[in-house]
Amino acid sequence: MICIGLTVFPNAIKAQKATSDLVTVCYKSSMNCHGCEETLTNYLKFEKGVKDLKVDLKSNTIKVVYKAGKNTPENIAKGIKKKGYEANPITEEEYKSLLGESSKK
Amino acid sequence: MKRTIFLSLVCLTFSGFSNPIKGKVFGLENNQKIVLPGANVFWVGTSIGAIANENGEFKIQAEPSNKLLVVSFVGFTSDTIRWNGEEAVNVILNPNLSLDEIRVVQKNKGTYISKINPIYTQHINGAELHKAACCNLSESFVTNPSVDMSFNDAITGARQIKLLGLDGIYSQLQTENFPNLRGLATNYGLTYIPGPWLESIQVSKGAASVVNGYESISGQINANYKKPDALEAFNFNVFNSSEGKVELNSNFSVKLSEKISTALFVHGENFQHRIDHNMDGFLDEPLMKQIHLFNQWKYNSGKGFMVHAGIHYLNEDRVGGQTNFRKSMSRISSNPYGVNVANERMEGYVKTGFDINTNHSIAFITNFTHHNMDSYYGLNTYSGDEFTLYGNLVHTYSIDKANVHTLNSGLSLVIDQTDETLNQKSFHVNETIPGIFSEYTFKPSAKITLMTGLRADHHTNFGTFFTPRFHLRYSPTEHLNMRLSAGKGYRTPRILAENSFLLANYRSLKFNEDNILEEAWNYGISINQELQLAERPFSVSAEYFRTDFINQLIIDRESSASQIILSSLDGKSYANSYQLEVHYELLPRLDVVAAYRINDVKQTINHELVRKPLTSKYKGLLTLNYSDRLKKWMFDYTLQFNGGGRLPVIAGNQLNAPTEFPDFKIMNAQVTKYFRYWNIYLGAENLLDYTQDHPILGADRPFENGFDATRIWGPVMGRKFYAGIRITLNHQSK
Repeated sequence: MICIGLTVFPNAIKAQKATSDLVTVCYKSSMNCHGCEETLTNYLKFEKGVKDLKVDLKSNTIKVVYKAGKNTPENIAKGIKKKGYEANPITEEEYKSLLGESSKK
Repeated sequence: MKRTIFLSLVCLTFSGFSNPIKGKVFGLENNQKIVLPGANVFWVGTSIGAIANENGEFKIQAEPSNKLLVVSFVGFTSDTIRWNGEEAVNVILNPNLSLDEIRVVQKNKGTYISKINPIYTQHINGAELHKAACCNLSESFVTNPSVDMSFNDAITGARQIKLLGLDGIYSQLQTENFPNLRGLATNYGLTYIPGPWLESIQVSKGAASVVNGYESISGQINANYKKPDALEAFNFNVFNSSEGKVELNSNFSVKLSEKISTALFVHGENFQHRIDHNMDGFLDEPLMKQIHLFNQWKYNSGKGFMVHAGIHYLNEDRVGGQTNFRKSMSRISSNPYGVNVANERMEGYVKTGFDINTNHSIAFITNFTHHNMDSYYGLNTYSGDEFTLYGNLVHTYSIDKANVHTLNSGLSLVIDQTDETLNQKSFHVNETIPGIFSEYTFKPSAKITLMTGLRADHHTNFGTFFTPRFHLRYSPTEHLNMRLSAGKGYRTPRILAENSFLLANYRSLKFNEDNILEEAWNYGISINQELQLAERPFSVSAEYFRTDFINQLIIDRESSASQIILSSLDGKSYANSYQLEVHYELLPRLDVVAAYRINDVKQTINHELVRKPLTSKYKGLLTLNYSDRLKKWMFDYTLQFNGGGRLPVIAGNQLNAPTEFPDFKIMNAQVTKYFRYWNIYLGAENLLDYTQDHPILGADRPFENGFDATRIWGPVMGRKFYAGIRITLNHQSK
């Protein structure tokens, strides 16, 4: 049900503010192909508690939103590394600026 | 050349500085090379890579320990090439979606539309392949507005897919881009291609390229199997319907070395429940068993030489007819009426491609099939043995560097030897058809593509005939595409093999000619506009196609009460098809397709121009696809509106009423839940439980006058629930 509720919001960040038990973590990664983007998306979405996800090749960033208590930033990073990519934690502000930069290009 | 280097230096963002290797990525589209901006290049097993710039050029840091470069691009088959210290490498990728002249309709919603492709092509992302349960190719088009699926008769389960309102025989069926499943396989061929084996399907309407032969009249349908060198390593699918049908599909691939890969495909299905919902004493669906094995090999030298080969074995047995019929019963009219069709088929193909240099390349495709069929329909016996050999040699010449002019020329050969026996009367076909063709493509800018082709074929019985074809694409803006096409097509119908289902009727078949050369012109115009509506993609297309037959095999079920007459066209025969189609993401992640088509198909039957019997006047389609944000759930809904049409009526027979069949709706729905390595689906076909009244005429006296199981226009099977599981494992990218 929560899942369907979330979809009402066009933007996940809004959703996160509305529901306080969600945790957002962001990473800078090392992807180099569209395939990586797909692989990571398909892998991470099945990690425990994941409610929203954005893997972006252009800015090489990953944002994961999960239910508090269901997962940890370390475990998400472990998942990314398991697939062979870097997972350097960054703040949401850094994430937003990286994403903004790459979309301007 | 200086400019090239300069550009690659300026535009590259991902390359390092020590010993960079330069290269350029091309894709083969319509047999011509185009650059692929944005292609991915990386060293196998590493994350060191580059992305090609707008000219398809890339630069990548050399890796002393690594010699294998993987090159990939959406819509093309990824390639791994061996780097032997060259300063520059050129890579040509083959499309994994074949291209067509008018349009490509993917099996499922396209998520990527190529901006560089001269032809409107929707490219798909893997997760989207699951919209329908789709057990085999004939069932894969439920959500497709352009293709209609219909049954040939109420007993054998033989199906056909219609394009432009015309019978399936007029669209050329291909697998792996060569003509296949003709002759004896015509009526059951669609059920020989398991859906879970497929990588993609392409449907093109109207005149096709001359490269694939003279046969396509209304269009082409091509099915591409999954490839051994693709990412998917293992797939397993099991399907079960509420009626008790079980299907099992599996495939796995092994990379034996960097150059050689192989894949094994297995399909089995079994249905042994006798079901008669409409209580007419006849099975609604034939009992059937099928086993299909397929082994595929791929060799890629990495230096422009590629071999792709495969071998198929198929064995199938169908039993239909009255519910109390058993195969062991002797075939006399005091026993129940039964139909048995047994097919055994072997098929092998080899495709080779060789790049001589950047301007010239050669491709050779050969395919052989051996098909054996034994069947009976009540007291009628029909058997056939068919051997075909197909060869096609294509030389592609890129006349200039910018690919403004391209020439595709080649030679083809078709050998067909068929022996058929109908009720102790034998028929023999022995045909050798050599052909020669050339196709010129002119692409002065991204806005215009002009393609014109001509082929000449020499047929054993009909001498030499010419097939001209013409295509024009014009895109005044990036999002507007207009296309024009015109072309001729021919067919030599296998009169008995293609119409064997007509034996499930009390009248005898009468044909005056053993050999007919069908001949038709097809003209088409289409327009497609894409735009953003409320920040979501919206596209609308309108099209018109006309097919004009010069000669055609006409099936006359109306002028005689004792015979079905198969003869050459004497007069006019044409088909007009008007279609309007809209795609829109109505709400976030809710995709809606709405389409409407008018079929105006007329034939001269018994000196009178009439609507072709058993053809719907129109078709409407509404499909909804919704997935949640992370695509863990997917919901699909389809509603088909089928227009009514004319029933074949026999002059002076009281069975004539009614003379028209009514409009009817078919509704399907499916839910899919995804997990990391597997997914489960649950669905229903024909939710409204609509079935044709009296699909079999004279069902109570099948051996007497009036029996006819071939007057079929709607579904025989009612509501059906099904469930299935798919397991998919990919090769490790490390």
